[in-house]
Amino acid sequence: MLRDQSVGPTISKLYEINWLLITFIYLLGMIGVAMIYAATDGVWSHGAVQHLIRMAFSGGLLVFVAMIDVKVWYNLSYLVYLFALILLFFVDIFGITVNGSQRWLDLGFMRLQPSEFMKLALVLAMARYYHDLPAWRVSKFTGVLGAILIIALPVQFILRQPDLGTTLLVAATGLVVVFLAGINWRVIAIAIGSAIVFVPLFIKFGLKEYQRSRILTFLDPSRDPTGASYHITQSKIALGSGGVSGKGFMNGTQRQLEWVPENRTDFIFTVIGEEFGLVGGFITMSIYAALIGLCIWLALQCKNMFSQLLILGLTTTFALYVFINLGMVMGLLPVVGVPLPLISYGGTVILTVMTSFGLIMACHLHRNSELPRGGGR
Amino acid sequence: MSDADIESQTLNRRAFFLAAGGLAAFTALGSRLYYLQVIRSEDYRVLSDKNRFNYNIVIPSRGRIFDRYGAPLAINKQNYRVVIVPEQVKNIEQTLDNIEKTIPLRTATRKRILKDIRENAGFIPVLVDENLAWNSFAAINLKTPELAGVMPEVGEGRYYPNKGLFAHTLGYVGRAGPRDVKADPDPLLRQPTFRVGKTGVEATVDKRLRGSSGRLKVEVNAVGRIVREWPDPKDRAQAGEDVYLTLDANLQRRAAELFEDDSGGAVVIDVLTGELRTLLSMPTFDGNLFVTGLTREDMVRMNSDEKRPQFNKVIGGGYPPASTFKMAVMLAGLKTGIINPYEQITCRGKVPLGNRMFHCWRPRGHGPMNLRDSLKNSCDVYYYEMSQRIGISNIAAIARQLGLGQRYDFGVSGQTLGIVPDEEWKRKRLSQGWRMGDTFNAAIGQGFVLASPLQLAVMTARIANGRAAVTPYLVIDEAVPEFEPLGIDTEHLAMIKDAMWSVCEEPGGTAYRPNGLGIKGLQMAGKTGTGQVRGISKSERLTGVLNNQNLPWELRDHSIFVGYAPFDKPRFAAAVIVEHGGSGAGRAANIVRGLLQRALERDGLSEKQETRKTSEREGQEL
Repeated sequence: MLRDQSVGPTISKLYEINWLLITFIYLLGMIGVAMIYAATDGVWSHGAVQHLIRMAFSGGLLVFVAMIDVKVWYNLSYLVYLFALILLFFVDIFGITVNGSQRWLDLGFMRLQPSEFMKLALVLAMARYYHDLPAWRVSKFTGVLGAILIIALPVQFILRQPDLGTTLLVAATGLVVVFLAGINWRVIAIAIGSAIVFVPLFIKFGLKEYQRSRILTFLDPSRDPTGASYHITQSKIALGSGGVSGKGFMNGTQRQLEWVPENRTDFIFTVIGEEFGLVGGFITMSIYAALIGLCIWLALQCKNMFSQLLILGLTTTFALYVFINLGMVMGLLPVVGVPLPLISYGGTVILTVMTSFGLIMACHLHRNSELPRGGGR
Repeated sequence: MSDADIESQTLNRRAFFLAAGGLAAFTALGSRLYYLQVIRSEDYRVLSDKNRFNYNIVIPSRGRIFDRYGAPLAINKQNYRVVIVPEQVKNIEQTLDNIEKTIPLRTATRKRILKDIRENAGFIPVLVDENLAWNSFAAINLKTPELAGVMPEVGEGRYYPNKGLFAHTLGYVGRAGPRDVKADPDPLLRQPTFRVGKTGVEATVDKRLRGSSGRLKVEVNAVGRIVREWPDPKDRAQAGEDVYLTLDANLQRRAAELFEDDSGGAVVIDVLTGELRTLLSMPTFDGNLFVTGLTREDMVRMNSDEKRPQFNKVIGGGYPPASTFKMAVMLAGLKTGIINPYEQITCRGKVPLGNRMFHCWRPRGHGPMNLRDSLKNSCDVYYYEMSQRIGISNIAAIARQLGLGQRYDFGVSGQTLGIVPDEEWKRKRLSQGWRMGDTFNAAIGQGFVLASPLQLAVMTARIANGRAAVTPYLVIDEAVPEFEPLGIDTEHLAMIKDAMWSVCEEPGGTAYRPNGLGIKGLQMAGKTGTGQVRGISKSERLTGVLNNQNLPWELRDHSIFVGYAPFDKPRFAAAVIVEHGGSGAGRAANIVRGLLQRALERDGLSEKQETRKTSEREGQEL
C-alpha cells in the first residue's frame, strides 16, 4: 500500500485507530467534567479542571500503549503480572493506611495503588495463560488449578488490605476470562455449587465488621437509617426527585445541600440523575453500552486468542465497574467503593481505564498479528 | 475442523453470552432507573423537599413602650447571640468547650444550657449566650464551619433606654418560666429566645406587646445550616402593638433628680383625668440587668441595700400619712357637723388622755386654733380634740371616700392596700377593742394608718378635683376609667382647700415660701407630713427630742408632702414621701414644688422659663 510506505507504520496505525471508541471515551469524559463541575458547586478548580487535564494526558497514554505491538504485550504479560504481585506484597508490608485500609504504596513523589494495576496485570496473565494452554487442557484439573492460582494470589492480597470492591472486581474478571476460555459447563456447575456453600461462610468469617454491616444494611435498609444506608437513601432521593427531565444543570437541591456525600467521586451518577433526570441517565448508560458493545465487537475481529481474551477481559472489568457503581447508586447493590469509570473524579482510575483502552486498541491495531501457540505443551 | 477453529467458535459463543449478560445488566439498571425516576418520582420529590426545607418559628418584635409624648421607655435593640440546635450536635460538652475558646461561659450558664437541652425537644434552639460584643460575635461566626449545630443569630433584645428611671413601673422581661408555659399554650413561650413580661406594665399588657409568631421556610443543608431563606409574606411574624403610657419622661427624670440619693416615692397625677404623669420609686434599679441576666454580685448589692431599690415604694410602700391625713379628719368633722370651722381650741402643746400624754409637734403649743389655722400650722392638739368628738368610724369613712385603703387597677401590680383603721378593722386584725388613744393617733395620721404615695396622690387629686372620685390611669387605650361622683360637700372642700392654700402661700404656713411655686400668677396648695418611725420616750421629751440629723438614717422621720396646682384651677396633684427625709416642710415639699412647677411648664400652663428665673431671683432677695 502506497500510504504505508510513504508515511511509515506508526502513522498508518494512527490512521487505523478506532475513532468511534475514542469518541465514546471522550463523551463520557466530558460528561464527567460537567458533572464534577456541578458537584463542586461550579468551582472549576475543585476537580473539573483536573479531570479535563487527566483525560487529555491519559489520551496520550492510550495512543502510546496502542502503538506497541501486541506481541510485546504478550511477551511482557507474565512479567507485568509478577511485578504487580510484588507490589501488592509490598503494600501488605509497607503500605500506608488511609481510612482503615492499607491500599497505597508511598513512592515519595506519588502514591501508587497496586490493586488498580493488578486489574490490568491479571487480565494480561490470564489471556496469556489461556493463549498458551491447549484447548483440551482448559477443563482438566491442572488447567483449572493454574487459572485459580493466577487469580487467587492477587485476590488474597487485595482482600487483606481490605478492599472488598476491588477483590470482587478482580476475581470476577478472572472468572469471566476462565469462562470465555471455554471451560466446561460441568466445571462451571461444580464451581457455582461450591460457591453457594462457601460464600455465606465467607461472609460470616472472612469479612471485616464494616463490610458485613454494609451487606446487611443493603439487605435491610431500615437497620441503620443515618449510618451506612444513609448513602443509599439519599442517593435514591436524589435520583428519584430528578424525575424524567431532571431539575436542570446546577439546580440539583440534593447536590447543592450536600445531602449525598461523595457525589464528586463514587456517587456522581446521582448528580446526573438529579439534574438531567431519566433522559440524562439513559443517555449516559447508552454510551456505556455502546462502548462495551463496540469493545466486544473489536474482540471478535482479532485473529489470536490472546488479543481476544485480553479485550474481553478488560472490557469485563470496565463493564463491572459500571454495573457495580450504577447498581450501588440505585440501591440494587451494597455500597462498595467503586467509581463510575471516566466520569468519577479520581486519577488512578482514569489511568487504569485509559491504559486498558490502550491495550484494547493495541489488540485491535494488531488484530492480524500471529502469536505463537503453545500447541502440544 | 482444527482445534483453533473449535476454540474460536467456543469463544465467539461465550463472547455472545458475555454481551447478553451485559445487555441484561443494562436492562436491569435501566428499569431500576425508570422505577426510581418515573414511578416513584413523586415520593422522592417529597422526600427531597423534606430534606431541603425546614420551618423555623419567627419570633415577633415585642411592642415598644412610649411615654405620652412618644419618648421611648422600652424598645428593642439588636442582640448578637449564639444558639445551639442540640439534634445537630454530636458532642455537646466538646462543642461547648470549643465555644468557650471564643466566648467565656460561666459555670451557671453552662449548667443552664445543659438543662435547657435536656428539657426541650432536640430541634428547639437553645440559647448559649446573648448580648455579645461585636468582636466575639464575629469570632464565633468565623468558627461556625467547625461547630455543627451552633448558630450565631442577630435577634432582638429588650432595652430600657432610661435605665432605671421607669424600672418599677415598666417591670422587665425574662424567659417564660414553667408556670407561664403551663398557663399559656402559645408555642412562642417554648422558644428559649422568646421573652415575656415578668413584672410591671411589661407583664400586665404582655399580650398586647407580644405580637404573633411567624414562620420562615428555610433551606437547610445536610448539616442543618441554613443556606437560603424563602420568606412568604403570609407567614411573617406580627410585631407586637406599641403601648403608650400617660407618663411624662421629662417630668419623671425631674423627680429622680430632685430625689438625689434619697429613698421614697413620687406621684404626679392629672387632677381632671387621673393620668399619672410621674410614678417613681427611688432608688431604682437598671431593668436592663434583668434582661441580660443578673449576676450574683448585682443581686447581692440590690438585696443588701438598706434603701431596697427593688421595692416599688410608690405603690407598694405603706407609710403613716402623718399630718396629710388631717384633711380627712377635717372633712369628717364638717360633714358630721361636729366641727364648727370658727370654733377655737387652745393648744398647750399636749393633751392628757387617761394616764397617757399626747403631744403636739410644737412642744410649747400653738395657742388658740380654729380649723384653718390648725391645718396651716399642722396643730396636733386640735385634731386630738376634734377626733375625740367625731369618732373613728366617721374619719375612716371619709378617708376611704378620698381613696385611701384601696388598690387601683391601672396596670401595675404590687400595690399595697394601706390601712384605714376603725373599730371593726382592729377587732378583726388584732382581736382588740378600739381605744381612744388609737383615735388620737389616727387623727394625726400615725398609729395604724398606712398609705402609699399613690393613695395620697389620689386623695389630693380628689380634694383638688372636688367633684369626681379620680382614679389613676396609666396605659393609654386601656379602658378610660369613669369616675364616680366624689360625694363630698363642695363648700366643705372649699374650706379645706383654702386651708391647704394657707399652708403654702400664707406666711407662717408650714410649707410657706414666698412665691412658692415660682411661676408668676400661679399658686399652689398642699399639706406637710412628718411620719414618725419611732416612739419618743418620756425621758427623751424631758431632755429634748433628738434632732433628726442626730439620728441614724433608718430612725429619722419620713418626709411627706401632698399638694396641687394651680390653686384656683387645679390641674396636677402630687404626693411625695421621702423615707427618713426629716421634716415634711423640707425635703418632700421641695420635691412636690419642683414637680408641679415642671408639670405646669410642660403643659404650657405657665409662661416661659425666663419668668420663673426672675421670680426665683425675686424670691431670693426677699
